[in-house]
Amino acid sequence: MMGACAADGAGSNFGTMNPSLPADPYSLQGHATVADADGALLRRMAAGDESALGALYDRWSALVHSVVVRIAADAGDAEELVEETFLQAWRQAGRYEGARGGVSTWLVVIARSRALDRVRLAGHRRAAAAEPLDSAESAGALPPADSTPLDAAEIAETRQIVHAAMEKLPADQRETLELAYFKGLSQSEIAESTGLPLGTVKTRCRLGLQKLREALSVLHEDRA
Amino acid sequence: MTNEPMHEELRDALAAEAVDALDVEEREQLLAHLAGCAACSAELETLRASAALLAFSAPHRPMDPARSAGVRSRLLARAAQDRESTTQIAPAPPLPAPGDDPDVTLIGAPPPPPTPAVVAPIVVPARREPDVIPITSARRRPSILPWLAAAASLVLLVGVGMYAASLRGRLATVEDRYQTAERERFALERRVREREATLAAISAPATRVIEMAAARPAAPSGRMFWDPSTNRWTFFAHNLPAVREGREYQLWLITADQQKIPAGTFRPDAGGSAIVQATYALAADALAAVAVTEEPAGGLPQPSGEVVVAGAAAATEEE
Repeated sequence: MMGACAADGAGSNFGTMNPSLPADPYSLQGHATVADADGALLRRMAAGDESALGALYDRWSALVHSVVVRIAADAGDAEELVEETFLQAWRQAGRYEGARGGVSTWLVVIARSRALDRVRLAGHRRAAAAEPLDSAESAGALPPADSTPLDAAEIAETRQIVHAAMEKLPADQRETLELAYFKGLSQSEIAESTGLPLGTVKTRCRLGLQKLREALSVLHEDRA
Repeated sequence: MTNEPMHEELRDALAAEAVDALDVEEREQLLAHLAGCAACSAELETLRASAALLAFSAPHRPMDPARSAGVRSRLLARAAQDRESTTQIAPAPPLPAPGDDPDVTLIGAPPPPPTPAVVAPIVVPARREPDVIPITSARRRPSILPWLAAAASLVLLVGVGMYAASLRGRLATVEDRYQTAERERFALERRVREREATLAAISAPATRVIEMAAARPAAPSGRMFWDPSTNRWTFFAHNLPAVREGREYQLWLITADQQKIPAGTFRPDAGGSAIVQATYALAADALAAVAVTEEPAGGLPQPSGEVVVAGAAAATEEE
């Protein structure tokens, strides 16, 4: 297995893999300012500095809130989830090791996991199921007032790039990715809820994510 | 490695895993493969990084600023409390979540307490199989049932104890929030009362205004509002030079018979401004002038220093 995969893996097999890409073309780490500042905040949090937690909150609470609203819908839940997410970040700051994707990815992983748990616990998947992506509103929305303008601009830029990449995806692939990411459905659950054959779901998931990766890397290189 | 997946299946699996959508059995297969395949691990990493950016595709919904401020202050209060408690007590091991272990059924035992929301679980990206297999999933045999039951009771006891502890923790958090809110309320009320008193003192019908001109080139100025009906004196000063260490400004009420009554000491803020309030009963026609001098910190019974600002009281209109 291992041999078979390694022999042609990076070449023909994974056609979208590009060895010449920058070390981390897919995340905010490309922005030295935000990533560096986040790392410093995490170190201060690990040392027990609450003001660093406040600064991290100011920077990322809007993103975290947007994600949990998308997943859990209910506004009261969402605020509680945001609070719990940052509290968990505070408690685990010492264990954070500059993961790929940086602090924002780490926070979102915590928030998403908590929000999905909450939805499952409540047994209501009604959530935001039918809610379409509203790119006009989100792309043009003002940055949160409590971020510094530079951070807000960088975050807004990332948001716009991701939105553009998502819009380029065929609708069925986009929907499959959204069901997995925002609804926490497994592939067989997606097949069940959409009535599609499992094989189709798998293909859409793969094609969608590979195209997304491609689009995001190209946009990143344009900016670099 | 007999039932190795086809490449196409492998690519499907990597993408699904990147969005946590892989079903349990396939996931086990993939994890086994990843353990020995650097290329696939690297591929998964980049797919995961792209998947993580899906977060940015959520419609932008920042919190209402006022509510966000509330969440923020609660968060910081909880963090501070957390820090205090963890410095005193060693962190407790995480309570196993109910339903994590379908292999063990505790007949006759009450259900385990619900996992309290304040216990922060380790981050697991998805609901699927935990990487750590709990000890309690050992095969059941009739001979060890009593031991299992005893162990289960112990686990239950520990669980209930921790749940109770976490409830106490939550109660303490709520009490703390309440007290913080109460303190803020008292502080705000006090400030409002002070402002109301200031406004009343300078806007009363009988309030007299004494303008004071600079007595030296730095152009400091002051204005005294005196409401004889309440004996309230409110003094505003601007452009006062900073005072040296160990020195303060002192306010004087000077009567017609040249009595110099000390009315408080103060230091101006960085911009040279100061507000002084005092209550002192003085006959309506007794005031001749108001002055400020620089004195040793704490003030003196009689002025000794240079006059910084001074002004004569105009005759009362009502007399």
